Amino acid sequence: MPQTPRVQLFVTCMVDLFRPRVGIAAVRLLERRGLAVEFPMAQTCCGQFAFNAGHHKEAAAMGRQLVRAFEQATPGDAAAVADVPVIALSGSCAAMVSHELPDLLERDALDRGAARATAQRWRRRAESLARRVVELSVWLERDVARVNSNPAEGSTAPTATQPGPDTVGPVPVAWHTGCHMRRLLQVTEPPIHVLEAAGAAGHELPDADQCCGFGGTFALSEPELSAAMADTKLQALATPRADGAACLVSADLGCLLQLGGRLQRAGDTYPVLHVAELVDLADQGELTPLGIARAAEARGGEG
Amino acid sequence: MPGVLPPPGTPWKARLAHALADTTLQGAISRSTHNLAAQRDAAYAGYARGGELRDAARAAKRASVARLDELLAECTRNVEAHGGYVVRAAGPDEVARYVLDVARRRGARRVVKSKSMATEEVELNARLEAAGLHVRETDLGEYIIQLAHERPSHIIVPAAHKTRGQIREIFDREARSAAAAPPADDSTPALTAFARRQLREAFLAADIGISGGNYLVAETGTLVLITNEGNGRMSTSLPPVHIAVVGVDKVLATWEDLGLVLQQAPLSGTGQRLTTYVSLISGPRREEELDGPEEFHLILLDNARRELLGSEFEDVLTCIRCGACLNVCPVFRTIGGHAYGSIYSGPIGVVLTPLLGGIEHAPELPKSACSLCYACRDACPMTIDLPHHILSLRVMQVRRQIEPASQRFTVALWSHLWASPGGYRRTVRLARLGQRAYLRKGRLGPVPRYLPAPGLLGGWLATRDAPPVARETFHEWWGRHRGRSDGSTGRSTLAPAVPGTDPSALAQAPAGERPAAPAADGATRAPERTERNVP
Repeated sequence: MPQTPRVQLFVTCMVDLFRPRVGIAAVRLLERRGLAVEFPMAQTCCGQFAFNAGHHKEAAAMGRQLVRAFEQATPGDAAAVADVPVIALSGSCAAMVSHELPDLLERDALDRGAARATAQRWRRRAESLARRVVELSVWLERDVARVNSNPAEGSTAPTATQPGPDTVGPVPVAWHTGCHMRRLLQVTEPPIHVLEAAGAAGHELPDADQCCGFGGTFALSEPELSAAMADTKLQALATPRADGAACLVSADLGCLLQLGGRLQRAGDTYPVLHVAELVDLADQGELTPLGIARAAEARGGEG
Repeated sequence: MPGVLPPPGTPWKARLAHALADTTLQGAISRSTHNLAAQRDAAYAGYARGGELRDAARAAKRASVARLDELLAECTRNVEAHGGYVVRAAGPDEVARYVLDVARRRGARRVVKSKSMATEEVELNARLEAAGLHVRETDLGEYIIQLAHERPSHIIVPAAHKTRGQIREIFDREARSAAAAPPADDSTPALTAFARRQLREAFLAADIGISGGNYLVAETGTLVLITNEGNGRMSTSLPPVHIAVVGVDKVLATWEDLGLVLQQAPLSGTGQRLTTYVSLISGPRREEELDGPEEFHLILLDNARRELLGSEFEDVLTCIRCGACLNVCPVFRTIGGHAYGSIYSGPIGVVLTPLLGGIEHAPELPKSACSLCYACRDACPMTIDLPHHILSLRVMQVRRQIEPASQRFTVALWSHLWASPGGYRRTVRLARLGQRAYLRKGRLGPVPRYLPAPGLLGGWLATRDAPPVARETFHEWWGRHRGRSDGSTGRSTLAPAVPGTDPSALAQAPAGERPAAPAADGATRAPERTERNVP
């Protein structure tokens, strides 16, 4: 009898701290699709903040913790974890793990005076995580059908999502692809398909390939420049907004905090949603202006 | 030993504030960069072999850089065989000294120049003017900014930051001081006609023409200039002396290499397959020739370029100065070139400035003028790994402890805490305490003046609101609903919810009341993992 397929959830520090309901939404939507969701509690942060700021020793310390966290498995079950997908709730963090971590951990081990073999071992451990990590919307597009083609997972699990009965046609939403998703993971289409399956029509912004100005510590150390870049992005957002886009959606919470925070500062309550939140809403038949507004507002109450 | 670059002038924050306050500049920069980037995309879209030729050009350029010293020697021999003079200049002083020596010997008073980043790099105009020479820039954009007493703001479009209205004002002023007829209006033809009239005089009166160089072909000792205005050809053929100031990185081995590389700057820079003019210069006028200079001098400028050979930054020497990285850079598009405080702006400037001028020269460029969006790496026809170079420069800055001690301490403490689950949990508790003072209606808003927010938080809240650290983090939610209180990892225990199920009921339900899991494999999916550090 086939086992329930397992996935490990990599929520990212930003989702964990600032918008945990993105993680909760991800758990729900994955479970609806017949997955056994595991959350390695020892995960903290992929270290990208420190990495991008040039603090590679510090980034490596966090990176090693991430590697350890996702290696944890039930005693006697250690081999199995090597095939378990690690679903990341951020394109940028997924890119950090898949593109930078193996080099970083190897280099850092050597810098700390470790033997070649030790450094190689860190590289291999990071590479193993890098192979497993996959951004949520990519996973949803690529693997959900395969998972659900297995009848053992129960026929109630939706392959796509079922728009609510009161929905007339797809709900237009504005879609922003984060830069690392676009240029490191080279992913632009899958999230649009995921939105489609959820009953939403994703409209990219004009100048979609321009950075929103988040950039990790860049946003903290250069607030004026970063905000000017956000304002350019928000001007571009005016186009889909005028065409009726119900909210701004992205697979990266960093971009959403940046753009949402800038909107809020201007007293603008336009909703911003993580793709996990949108799919979760759609699963429940609540992908409506009201449902979206409620989901976006909930953010304020989390403090 | 680092080279010498012009000083950045005012501090970064002042330059930045100036740029962010100038909406005219932002409009002009945004228009120029959008147009150039769109032209580039269109050029490639209509050029089936474009990508393939670009790859071949990159390979040729890299191969030439790898043999740089050998090719420079070959190029020197061949230029000298044509009757030209070749000199190596370590930096700005050597360039200026050599040019002034030639000027003195020739009794020269007037100099015309075609556009050259190398001469901007060594501030040649200022040095020549200080010695009493009259210097006239003849590229339209360079002419405009020379009259405005500014530096170029873009590698290939020096006056990208100027509007037509501003240019007309500058020309009107010049017309008054030169007692010439001003431009008829601010249309491009009228502005160009004015510049052409004024510059024609300068070309005819010049004693020396100074150019840069886009390429040097080693096998024949040929200097190659690509321009769209024809001023390069006039500057290098009308005056009796031609001096070319060329970075050592410009040398290519063969004409075949040139054939490959020649297209790349116009394709990626302006979206042309070829520039309007391609001038091939192999020494001074020969006896049987009707025009050309009596003397030809080639100054090979190093200024720390050769130190990049064999380093992780060697590919920076393959830069063909096409400007494509500037046109796609969101920071450049926002602030324009002047705010960089270096004649090399945009992503390539962020990398090249500290590499040529020294890591302590304008440290703000790698640190602050990049959001690591990777757009430049995709745009670069030579696929120079600009984002990773910027990261490497940041690492070098951190190692040299250029940033303030407080920042170093913050990052060190932060990463120390976040490298363990327990430390991470401690920061959550601390953050919840720390943010209380700034909470307004459940979110973090503008910081009151009497209570400045510290460091990172202050930076964020200066321009944006933020959600506070959640009352219940995901870790805590999972621990409460799915795991054990000791922070164990666990598998999910929720039933697949059917559409229409009230999700908040599931999320909020106390652990004991949540629906039982109908596990497909019949086994319980209750928590079964323990947190454990694998060494």
